[in-house]
Amino acid sequence: MTGVAVEVAGLTKRYGEVTAVRDLSFVVRPGAVTAFLGPNGAGKSTTLRMIVGLVAPSSGTARIGGRPYRSIPRPSSVVGAAFPGAAVHPRHTARAHLRVYAAMGGYPDRRVDELLDLLELTGAADRHVAGFSTGMRQRLGLATALLGDPPVLLLDEPGNGLDPAGIAWLRTFLRGLADAGRTVLVSSHALAEVQQSADDVVLVSDGRLVAAGGYDELAATAGLPVQRPAAEPAGLERLFLDLTAQRRGDDRCNS
Amino acid sequence: MQQLIVAEFRRLLATRLWWIALLAATGLGGGLVGCLALVGPEHFSPPMPGLHTAAGARLVLGILGYTAFVPAAFGTLAVTSEYRHRTVDVTFLFAPSRWRVLTAKLAVFAVGGLCYGAVLAGTAAVGLYAGAAGHGSTVGVPVGAVAGLLGRLAVAMAVYTLLGVGVGALVGNQVAALCLVIGYLYLGEPVLMMIPGANAAYPLLPGGATAALTGFHEVSDAMAAQLPTTAIHLVSPVVGALVLLGYTLVAAAVAVFAPLRRDLA
Repeated sequence: MTGVAVEVAGLTKRYGEVTAVRDLSFVVRPGAVTAFLGPNGAGKSTTLRMIVGLVAPSSGTARIGGRPYRSIPRPSSVVGAAFPGAAVHPRHTARAHLRVYAAMGGYPDRRVDELLDLLELTGAADRHVAGFSTGMRQRLGLATALLGDPPVLLLDEPGNGLDPAGIAWLRTFLRGLADAGRTVLVSSHALAEVQQSADDVVLVSDGRLVAAGGYDELAATAGLPVQRPAAEPAGLERLFLDLTAQRRGDDRCNS
Repeated sequence: MQQLIVAEFRRLLATRLWWIALLAATGLGGGLVGCLALVGPEHFSPPMPGLHTAAGARLVLGILGYTAFVPAAFGTLAVTSEYRHRTVDVTFLFAPSRWRVLTAKLAVFAVGGLCYGAVLAGTAAVGLYAGAAGHGSTVGVPVGAVAGLLGRLAVAMAVYTLLGVGVGALVGNQVAALCLVIGYLYLGEPVLMMIPGANAAYPLLPGGATAALTGFHEVSDAMAAQLPTTAIHLVSPVVGALVLLGYTLVAAAVAVFAPLRRDLA
């Protein structure tokens, strides 16, 4: 897959007297997971929304593969984006939801089935989303973002509300996407989780860029140990995953 | 545009809203008209001309014009649910050209509104003749005239659906938009008819234009007779149709242009 970079240059967003994002510039490279970090209200979500044209910048530009999002023909085949709270009508089934956007993007219905399988939602495909757990909703949001098999993924807090199994699954999933050459930008608060999976970091505070670069490089500059936790689950997480997997297996045998 | 229209049809058919709407059309068309015809306008309070007269038959069918807030509410509900459930974010990610999305919605809801109107008109015809038969009366208007009047009502229902879409796209907030649409059409216009001076504008409002289109002037006449207001003179059916067409165009323009620069934060 050819890499597509995301370039943000001088991005600023003002809401009246409040400046949510100030003169923000950074580049997200392909083939890596880039963590977009910052405290609440730092401007992460606003920045992601400006990159995909949902919010109009007061000044500055955001380009994906050299083009603003709105000028990309069939943009869902270039960028997949998911925001918190999985934007789905609660009375739609997962399949119906994906079929709406498959039609909108011009993708065949078999792509819907592929993604339901990939995101492990086939068993729940014809249930109303109102009955979904947070993790299932997050996965449905991801499935929607992946409909066009895009080389760029922008995910706003995708780990919110996920249980340890969901977080481990997401970590592996994002790693696989980056290893396949995709550009993955993930905003998150879960620093321990980010430490395990991110290659690069963009850190913002109060709408301003604080630091950007490779995680190892930034850690070394700050005099922190570069050694990272193992990407594979360990300790309590390993125990949790093993025991819950065993319990699920028992339940399946008993049912 | 074809992809967007297919997507919007899929969205419309993915929830129960469409058959609830058709159920409402059946209830209001067949149910309401059937009951009114069965009772007979001569037994209304105050008594009206019987169903065997042209005025009585037009009265029973023309009352359907006052139910136009129902398809308008469905149009509003469908558009504002995109904002309420934040699916509008995903929609504008897949189709950043927002005016094209809203144009597709208008096309789909024009079809939906016509279906609503067709079911309303069809079941109203059944209710009218069944009610008349049950009442032991004839219908004082030829079949062709009944069909023409019901056809105009069906088109008016599609227009109101689009008005609802336009208000929904403009306001965004579901509760506020529904209050505005239902409040204005169900309460606002009838109240306007009672206000001296202000009621002069009624013939050019959607309700007045619909009444003109169907030749339904009994309510405005009754109000003028019972209240110290000047009589309301409805415009001709052709002008009524043109006025409704104008409202349709305004609603379409509002629906297409209102979301263009709106930040989805």
